[in-house]
Amino acid sequence: MKITTETINYIAKLAKLRFNEDEAETFAKEFEGILDHFQNLDKEDLSMEGLAAAKEGKSILRKDEIKPFENKEELFQNAKGMRESYLSIPKVIE
Amino acid sequence: MKIEELTIEEIQKAYQEKRFTVTEIVQGYLDRINKLDPQIGAFITLCKESALKEAEAIDKKLANGEDIGMLGGIPVAIKDNICTRGIKTTCASKILEDFIPPYDATVVQRLKDAGAIIIGKTNMDEFAMGSSTENSAFQKTKNPWHLDKVPGGSSGGSAAAVAAGFAPLTIGSDTGGSIRQPAAFCGAVGLKPTYGLVSRYGLVAFASSLDQVGPFTRTVKDCAISLQTIQGHDPLDTTSIQREPEKDYISDLHKGVKGLRIGIPKECFKEGLDPEIRSAIEKAVRQLEEDGAVVEEFSLPIMDSGLSAYYIISSAEASANLARYDGVRYGYRAENFTGIEELMENTRTEGFGKEVKRRIMLGTYVLSSGYYDAYYKKAMMLRQKIQKVMKQAFEAYDIILTPTSPVLPFSIGEKTADPMEMYLADIYTVNINIAGVPAISIPCGFSKEKLPIGLQLIGDHYTEKKLLQAAYSLEQGLGVYHETAFLKEAE
Repeated sequence: MKITTETINYIAKLAKLRFNEDEAETFAKEFEGILDHFQNLDKEDLSMEGLAAAKEGKSILRKDEIKPFENKEELFQNAKGMRESYLSIPKVIE
Repeated sequence: MKIEELTIEEIQKAYQEKRFTVTEIVQGYLDRINKLDPQIGAFITLCKESALKEAEAIDKKLANGEDIGMLGGIPVAIKDNICTRGIKTTCASKILEDFIPPYDATVVQRLKDAGAIIIGKTNMDEFAMGSSTENSAFQKTKNPWHLDKVPGGSSGGSAAAVAAGFAPLTIGSDTGGSIRQPAAFCGAVGLKPTYGLVSRYGLVAFASSLDQVGPFTRTVKDCAISLQTIQGHDPLDTTSIQREPEKDYISDLHKGVKGLRIGIPKECFKEGLDPEIRSAIEKAVRQLEEDGAVVEEFSLPIMDSGLSAYYIISSAEASANLARYDGVRYGYRAENFTGIEELMENTRTEGFGKEVKRRIMLGTYVLSSGYYDAYYKKAMMLRQKIQKVMKQAFEAYDIILTPTSPVLPFSIGEKTADPMEMYLADIYTVNINIAGVPAISIPCGFSKEKLPIGLQLIGDHYTEKKLLQAAYSLEQGLGVYHETAFLKEAE
């Protein structure tokens, strides 16, 4: 299957990544190899396997209990910036 | 005493007999790491001070005759994608280079509760994506048996640390073989438990429906001791086991394999398998037969297509799981950007390495409109077929035996050019994660070049007890675990 650099750039946009021309070309070539290998899925007989039929698992829920997190300083140590008790982030609305 | 040869069991005995103190043991490992890790590169972070402090506390308990726990005073190293409170947890990625978790993963908490001492965090393929530990953003880890070879991956640091005698126990994660393959490459025992037996809370997610945490040890018995410590239900992981797990993996270890039905998929022995691995496996099979197991060949024709299903499902889940690294709240943030779109794009483009980007791209592609039916949906259907086929196999056999890897540890840089070639190294391990069943890799010999060879035993869901029993019997029969990689100080 032929993969173009346009496809790569479109997928990159969806994934919030960016590639230069060389990188996109390499990716396109590698993708072709990988997707070719994926074609072996087609030799499997999947007519028996209904997606809906096999969902035997059920959701497990726990009680939603409030537990105070004592050490706030530790909790926020990875934040890029703080203002009083709020996380400060770059402007997200244009 | 040669510290590099000690097992958990031997250290525990020595503590009880007061032959050495916990501080001596911890200091002994730290000295060895300081001296030899510069040439191996197993560790990203060392926790020297905290480890010695904890050792001192346990020594006091021992002196007072108190119980020190199931893993009391046992040094353990943790893969760097498992959260450790107050200790940097990087996933070997630039994007989490400075991340310090405010909490412990459940598995870390359980190890601490059992008295284990965390001595450091180990290197890995970035976000556990890879089979050679060459995808770490920080360093390459060398195979202790041969410094030009890779240790396997993605838990290569944890496997190399056990093989180099830097710790008697290390913890890894396995999404498609990331514990078993490096265990095979480094000559360690590595277990991927049944999906759900060990909590994933605090394991940084790669592919949530496949990820599982497990131990690396020098012996099967040490593996059993470790599993008993870390397993069990966790309300913080909704996919964790909902009933009481097996309580005792140790008492019946010696019961042998007499009458055990072992199936060998003939698909594992066609072209592509290294001849030296083949003959080591054949020798192990003879050993099992001598010990009374009933070994039989059968057909399990899902190996090739299972690899495709694995890479589709795991990449799809990864593309969603890694969407959270956007530079907004925590982790790496690009310095230059205008507007939120560019902030995210620049952060991710600068912060992720090549293989991680490849998987995110692949995952985004197979989930994108127009391709979903052709790839993701088909892979999910095949997943069900694989689960069914494996269930049927376990009606006929107690255990399935395969090589862990089709190839011997390869040279550093040998497989980095072609991603597909690297992916093919996982062909015997990925289907186990897809089925959610447990599997253990144990050493079963060496190549002519003195490279370790691993053998994989696979069991049905929650049959770790039987699996460990068979692994123990084979290990005792083959006796290869006594050997340790010889390392000398770099000049």
